[in-house]
Amino acid sequence: MRIRLDPWPVDIEGGQLTLDPFDGTLIDIETPRWAAIPARPIPRQLSTVQVVDGKRRMEGRVFVEDDHGNVGTGGFGAYVVGAVSLCPHGSRAAELLDVRAMRVLAHAPALKLDPTSLSPRDPHSGTLLYHPVPTDSADPMAPLHRLQALMLDAEQTLSHGYASLVPTEETDDREALTSLTLQDGTLRRGGATLGGAVVGYVKTMQTQYLSADRVGLLSELKPGERTPILHMKSETGRSTRFTWYVRLSGAAFYQHPMSGVMRLEMYAPPEPDFLPPTVREVANLSGTLLGRLGSHAHKDPRAPQNLIPTAALEQAMGRSMGSADLVTRRIRAHIAGLQGVA
Amino acid sequence: MTNLNFGAAEAGAPVGMVLGTQDVTPVSFWFAVLPGASVQLDDLVAVQTRKPDGSFVNFYGIVDHVRTRHEGVTFDSDVQDVAAGLLPASVSYAARVLVTRVNPENFIPPQPGDGVRHARGDDLRMALSADKMGEKAFPGGLLADGQVLPVNYRFVNGENGGHINISGISGVATKTSYALFLLHSIFRSGVMGTGASAGRALIFNVKGEDLLFLDKRNREVESREAQARAQKGLPDHRYALMGLPVEAFRDVQFLAPPRPGSAGAAIVPHVEQRAEGVTPFLYSLREFCARRMLPYVFVDRDASVNLGFVIGSIEERLYRMAQGADTPYLTVEDWQPDTEQVLDEDVRFDEMGSVRISTFAQLVAYLEYKLLDANDGEGDRKWVGKQSPATLQAFIRRLRGVQKHLTPLVRGDVSAEQAARFRPDPLKPGVQTTVVDIHTLSATAQMFIVGVLLRDLFEHKERVGRQDTVFVVLDELNKYAPRDGDSPIKDVLLDIAERGRSLGIILIGAQQTASEVERRIVSNAAIRVVGRLDLAEAERPEYRFLPQSFRARAGILQPGTMLVSQPDVPNPVLVNYPFPAWATRLDEVDDLQGKKVEEVGEDWLY
Repeated sequence: MRIRLDPWPVDIEGGQLTLDPFDGTLIDIETPRWAAIPARPIPRQLSTVQVVDGKRRMEGRVFVEDDHGNVGTGGFGAYVVGAVSLCPHGSRAAELLDVRAMRVLAHAPALKLDPTSLSPRDPHSGTLLYHPVPTDSADPMAPLHRLQALMLDAEQTLSHGYASLVPTEETDDREALTSLTLQDGTLRRGGATLGGAVVGYVKTMQTQYLSADRVGLLSELKPGERTPILHMKSETGRSTRFTWYVRLSGAAFYQHPMSGVMRLEMYAPPEPDFLPPTVREVANLSGTLLGRLGSHAHKDPRAPQNLIPTAALEQAMGRSMGSADLVTRRIRAHIAGLQGVA
Repeated sequence: MTNLNFGAAEAGAPVGMVLGTQDVTPVSFWFAVLPGASVQLDDLVAVQTRKPDGSFVNFYGIVDHVRTRHEGVTFDSDVQDVAAGLLPASVSYAARVLVTRVNPENFIPPQPGDGVRHARGDDLRMALSADKMGEKAFPGGLLADGQVLPVNYRFVNGENGGHINISGISGVATKTSYALFLLHSIFRSGVMGTGASAGRALIFNVKGEDLLFLDKRNREVESREAQARAQKGLPDHRYALMGLPVEAFRDVQFLAPPRPGSAGAAIVPHVEQRAEGVTPFLYSLREFCARRMLPYVFVDRDASVNLGFVIGSIEERLYRMAQGADTPYLTVEDWQPDTEQVLDEDVRFDEMGSVRISTFAQLVAYLEYKLLDANDGEGDRKWVGKQSPATLQAFIRRLRGVQKHLTPLVRGDVSAEQAARFRPDPLKPGVQTTVVDIHTLSATAQMFIVGVLLRDLFEHKERVGRQDTVFVVLDELNKYAPRDGDSPIKDVLLDIAERGRSLGIILIGAQQTASEVERRIVSNAAIRVVGRLDLAEAERPEYRFLPQSFRARAGILQPGTMLVSQPDVPNPVLVNYPFPAWATRLDEVDDLQGKKVEEVGEDWLY
């Protein structure tokens, strides 16, 4: 019997490695030779890397009755997206960008609601303003899904706003890679039309994309090395990506040999006929860059995949949403005020 | 004193905001320093908070702690990631304020978010309670930002309080320099009123000949002050900022003990560096007896109770013996000294058949005869009293021990005119400052001179009252008034400390370690000053008036920087004071007296 640890703490749902089978198609777009590719240094002109992430929180589930007598469910929610902007050569201090919380009152369709403004009792703390947003259905989970969708949209807009364009034709050298965005999680479907050098980094490996004869390479990668780039088409055929694996750090003997490995993906055209040089460039530098950004086990339980800037960003985003307890109290006081109790 | 410069009266831009993540109290609070602002230790700041009824309360305080740290990072090693540009973090720059004044006295806490300003102009006056001092403030030095620290003269001259005590390590704490600077400031700032010679100073010079050039201008003062001005970015040199003249002390007399030599030799002052202007001082034997100086010869009076009785009764005998004549020497009729003694000590007989006692050694020999040798070893019964021979022998032994040291100072081999001329008199008309050089004397002789001079001064002031304040500058208080033990000079110093302020005698005392000085002397000082301290010493209870952060800093103070605590301002304030305008060494003496070389040269040529 052989037992190996999943590297992440047990209280994180799903762990890092789930390794469900994959039914889509993969094509060798870079090279048919399935072997480790060493990391290259980060080119000088790449001066900005943004790490983008988002966070959301439901702050209260409510039952609403509008002025016309319509009744439905809803939820007070907050979401925040933000970015850490840093220079991969360490020439300047990393800074937080655009970390601002938004608040919505997601409600069942067909209700007519005004923005809800929660005034504080203490003038030192600000006002909370919830904009009404209708959900697609009356499903009780719909407000949460709406909130999640809003967050992902905002995250995507932010990601693409920062990144350099990726030229899609072989001869196009209009824009060199000067700005790269790392986005937490898989890339959203709608983002392909927005363009830009956006890399999705997938911290967990829930799906095992590689066939059994190729999986072995993931365990053999040395820190910084990557696999060749593959063109991936989902089983529905609706999304296509360039994807590759890179190792951030070595696995301890008690861990699964694939721990420390991360999958990256970038948008790809549906037909696998051409590998844009920018994608190859990003893949080449990814080992070096992520090796630098990867966190350490004694500081972050999700090391190394939870990147150093991401952890800081998560903390800043949590802060910008405010204390959940205080917000809940504020909502309660507001409702009490509406009923004339307080 | 009206011309203390507190700078422009405008309220400055906020430099910070009161923090909400630490407790805010009316006596101490933290504030976050705004980006681009700079706050350092000892900065004086002002905060205004608004009460719910709309009225305002102003807080004034001094920064006693400043710190920066990374905010939002967890691990110490995160600084590497921040510096490498991987981890976003902001620097939190915060300062702690010890409140020195709340106006009006509503001890509510300031609110988080209240703006903090540097105290300037009127704010500074309030922070340092200068408004309470009014005309009675004199400059005590410059704050770190070049503003003047006012010291309340009412707490110096005895009106509300008196005495100044200075602690610090020898050499680096510059205690004497600061004491002299304070004297200069008191005398020359006009705080004493228009009568320029209203105050007097009696300064004991205990180390080197440092203080023997007080009346000479320092040739380095211009360059040193120009240097300090450039270094600190001051608008003017420090004397000008404080409104003090760059001048040496005026109307100074220098007293030095006579050079030891054989009896009858010329009486010249025992100094090395200064050739003119120093007067030797001595007491005549008759004065020694008539003015009851005997107790000051004995340093450790508490050695035994019986010895104290002997000293008391002999003091009385000598007093009676000295009555009836005014020659510097004494004459006795009941003593036939040994011939050996005669040859040795040059005793002369006069035609009356009595014996002249003209040296201290002879006085000791006479006492020995009266106490031990007369009546075939029984001693003169009237002198001996009921004391045992052992106690009397101890008394004589001690006298013999100090005989060598006192012989040049207490003598009968001078003419009456000389005795009058060389009698030390710090209250001599036309003299404002008297420097008594005792550094060449042995410890016993130093104690004797200090004790007798202070006793005389005290008795004089008891008679005439407190017009004419006299400042006594005495270093090494731990020697003269040690915490343990008892001595006549300690009694005098205690008298001065406890009653002197009502008589107009102000002690500017200094010592390396306040913990070794009689507690009542230190605790009676209204103004306390600390220079560089040994860190172990700084933790002793005598320095509890310094907040912890100041005690830690006392170990790193540079020469020329002092912590000054005065009753009006509840927290000590760090000041620097200018380079002395008077010479402290022979080679600092400005031969040109401030004139140009050409002018002096012309004087010589024509």
